[in-house]
Amino acid sequence: MAQNHDATEAFRGRSVVSTADFSKDEILALLDAARAFDRYHDGPVWTPQPPELQGRVLGTLFFEASTRTRLSFESAMLRLGGSVLGFADARISSLSKGESLVDTIKVVEGYCDAIVLRHPREGAARLAAETAHIPVINGGDGSNQHPTQTFLDLYTIREAAGRLDGLKVGFMGDLRYGRTVHSLTEALMHFDVDLKFIGPENLSLPQELREHLAAHGRSGVEVEHLQDAGDLDVLYMTRIQAERFPDPMDYERVRHAYRVDRAALEPFGEKLKILHPLPRVNEVAHDVDDLPGALYFRQSRNGVIVRMALLHLILGGALPGRGDA
Amino acid sequence: MTQPSDFQLTAGTVIDHLPVGTAARALQLLGLPREGPITVGINVPSPRHGRKDIVRVEGLFLEKRESDRLALLGPNVSVSIVRDGAVAEKTVLDVPERLRGILTCPNPTCITNEEPVSSSFVRLGAFPYSFRCTYCERITRSADL
Repeated sequence: MAQNHDATEAFRGRSVVSTADFSKDEILALLDAARAFDRYHDGPVWTPQPPELQGRVLGTLFFEASTRTRLSFESAMLRLGGSVLGFADARISSLSKGESLVDTIKVVEGYCDAIVLRHPREGAARLAAETAHIPVINGGDGSNQHPTQTFLDLYTIREAAGRLDGLKVGFMGDLRYGRTVHSLTEALMHFDVDLKFIGPENLSLPQELREHLAAHGRSGVEVEHLQDAGDLDVLYMTRIQAERFPDPMDYERVRHAYRVDRAALEPFGEKLKILHPLPRVNEVAHDVDDLPGALYFRQSRNGVIVRMALLHLILGGALPGRGDA
Repeated sequence: MTQPSDFQLTAGTVIDHLPVGTAARALQLLGLPREGPITVGINVPSPRHGRKDIVRVEGLFLEKRESDRLALLGPNVSVSIVRDGAVAEKTVLDVPERLRGILTCPNPTCITNEEPVSSSFVRLGAFPYSFRCTYCERITRSADL
């Protein structure tokens, strides 16, 4: 297993706030570390022995609802032998009594060794990371960043396609407000990837992301309909949220136009990998689930693997089974 | 036409080489009139820049955060400090690469608009300036700040 030692060391004790904070080497080091934890590729997630993080505590502060992110972080920490504490609803935290985020972080850092934070305000994770003396991992800050989602997306694409370079990746749905689209696009700019964006005009890419792509000599093909996207290796679906549309009629029109089913995906062949950060509403029909390229539940499972690797790199020691993994 | 000269500054500040149309914004940024008298020249001929705006304020001496704000208005804005009726010091303003605590993030859901923390921006490139909020990562043009 190839390991870039410096890049691996770069994670130790570090906060994870934004995808942009990580170099290509660091991202690849994390994906390689995750592969070492993915021992039973087609089976249950491995529980390493001896428990590497026994006695360590992860605080999970979720000021906003989450299922996958919170549970997969908790699962990852428990499988590494550590413990978790925290809350899943801001209403039961001191925030409901008017406590500031900064005060909450200063208190909670006394209770644990690292914090996972989800917060409705953009920039909350950066502020928490500046405040805390322990690592803070961003579990989603408003519409801004969700870096561990991006890492598990990259892991899943590389696992399924065998590579990241040379792929044609299409994003479909809410390109404007979908933080997963923005974070993954930014990370994919490290690789030789053709980017395509498929979505309604009123949910098209933010101008600043377009400019960011152009400033790095990259461009993405933007089309309104999937059939105009040309060949694709990966289709990354996102949910279009009703609240983005002032007129409910507009939402109804769009949500049916940006739904894929088995028939719509047939022209792309069996090689097409279909990803979705979940939860889905109706944008991916259930008849797609049985396609070999339907990877969204694999993504959820990989979320545990990648978060185990991340916690290991931030809090732990040597890689598990180094030399025989 | 010469520059406005209704009065001579004894001790104060001349804000010069403002882009045409930004004098009112400069007054707003500085919370003027809090000192004075003030003379404002708009669309004044300038040998170097064609046309410019100029503001002269008796009794005003800028703090660093105030001159940092003025610098956002254009690439050549200068500040001259007048003492005893003569220019004692002249500085062409420069926009620092990092701006801490002198602007407000226009993103209403940025954490800096809720928590007791100073705003923080990184300048992206040359004029016309854009800034990335260090916290919410939104990019904003200086005209929108």
